[in-house]
Amino acid sequence: MALDAASLPSIEAQVSPEEWQTRIELAAFYRLIPKHGMDDLVGTHISARVPGHPDQFLINPYGVLFDEITASSLIKVNMEGDVLSDGPWPVNAAGFTIHSAVLSGRPDVMCTAHTHTIAGMAVSSVEGGLTPLTQKHMRFYKNLASHPYEGIADDADECARLQRDLAGHDAMLLENHGLLTCGPTIRAAWALLYNLEKCCQTQLAVEATGAELVVPSEELCDRTRGMFQRMLAKPGAGDRLDAWESSLRLLAREDDSFMH
Amino acid sequence: MPLDLSQPLPTIDVKAAVSPEEWEARVELAALYRLAARHGMTDLGGTHFSMRAPGPEHHFLINPYGLLFEEVTASNLVKIDVDGNIVLDNGFAVNPAGFTIHSAIHMAREDLVCVAHTHTVAGMGVSCLKVGLLPMTQHSLRFHNRLSYHDWEGVATNLDERERLVQDLGTNNNMILRNHGLLCCGRSVPEAWRNLFALEKSCASQLQAMAISKATGRPIVLPSEAVRQGTSDKLEERHGKATVSRDWPGQIAKLDREEPDYKT
Repeated sequence: MALDAASLPSIEAQVSPEEWQTRIELAAFYRLIPKHGMDDLVGTHISARVPGHPDQFLINPYGVLFDEITASSLIKVNMEGDVLSDGPWPVNAAGFTIHSAVLSGRPDVMCTAHTHTIAGMAVSSVEGGLTPLTQKHMRFYKNLASHPYEGIADDADECARLQRDLAGHDAMLLENHGLLTCGPTIRAAWALLYNLEKCCQTQLAVEATGAELVVPSEELCDRTRGMFQRMLAKPGAGDRLDAWESSLRLLAREDDSFMH
Repeated sequence: MPLDLSQPLPTIDVKAAVSPEEWEARVELAALYRLAARHGMTDLGGTHFSMRAPGPEHHFLINPYGLLFEEVTASNLVKIDVDGNIVLDNGFAVNPAGFTIHSAIHMAREDLVCVAHTHTVAGMGVSCLKVGLLPMTQHSLRFHNRLSYHDWEGVATNLDERERLVQDLGTNNNMILRNHGLLCCGRSVPEAWRNLFALEKSCASQLQAMAISKATGRPIVLPSEAVRQGTSDKLEERHGKATVSRDWPGQIAKLDREEPDYKT
């Protein structure tokens, strides 16, 4: 019988309350991915820095479907790739490369998420990337990094290039590959990923028509991006817009094993 | 900040605090939120549906800020005035910026009870097309010559924009917010839902048809102008008589069976 993540003993008593909360929120983020149709079986990854240990982060047990990931089954690693927790599953090597690159290069980032959705892979494969189409897209206007594809990201050399390409941004198109977002909190990275995904889906639907578009002026795009940036720069400003607690309650109502 | 996952509950007994008419209105509006969620018309905590509260006070009901549509109930809807100030404190907050578009319509159009705004992929998609909504299907003919357009001016916090929103809506009940999304209204909640549902489906099917047409070079066939207008008039006449549609009771029965907490 396949190993079931939810049957592992809880490690709540062995970690700090802050780490436990981070584990619950990160496990919830994994569970939201299939809920919103953004999953790729056991592929892709989301990581969160361990509170109080900036050189350590949590990542998925490779081989567990996202809708089965639990707080206790998340694997703790350091930036050198040493596994610091016990468990039957390994870490995805490509996941380690991408996440250690982002987290070690960006002390302001607590959480990084990466997907291989149809819309994300498609937009990341078209020259020009994301088109500034709607109000929702303006969050990413002149504010979306991109990183050329180099093959499976298990080459440590790629770390430096990922860091250079991400620079100060919090969202990136991984060309021919997918999407990446990061944020100062887990919920911020989630909201950004949700919105970027929706922008990609909209672009595909719009641009497939080949029709003439209503294009917002550069001035309006700049102004709106600035407004979003100022608005979201205030700590906690996005906390109601993202409805994070509400999402977690809905998850828990259906299956609260992510909190285990 | 520690995560609090306890269900936020109203701090007062809302049912006891409001008129029976208002309670009934709250139950209907909560049902609208749940139906929209079921049909994938959500955007996390963004976008809102608002409703004129019964009575002469010009008060409105809107969703509690920070809750997904799936968690909206009759009791946690927040009653506000036209400026977004809370007039019945039930312990929940509102997003005043999100009410700007709604308040513009509510102030100008006494005949409209409910205003619904979405950011769906299909709605945002058609909102970017210069051609707008095509008179392509039976669903979209409902809106033939009865659909307004409002150009995007940035995030709608500017009170000047209210005038232009109202002017653009004119006497229509539905409007495409360019580069932004959909706005559907109704003289009742069921009517707003019927409009929203039909416009969403119209947008989704149009985008698909246009993509096929572009890829294959086969043109989209549109009904003749006489058929367009005839269909539009017939639908208007049929729906103009009844503000409660045939589809609403069945949908309510389904909600009552599957998620009856919306009525609490």
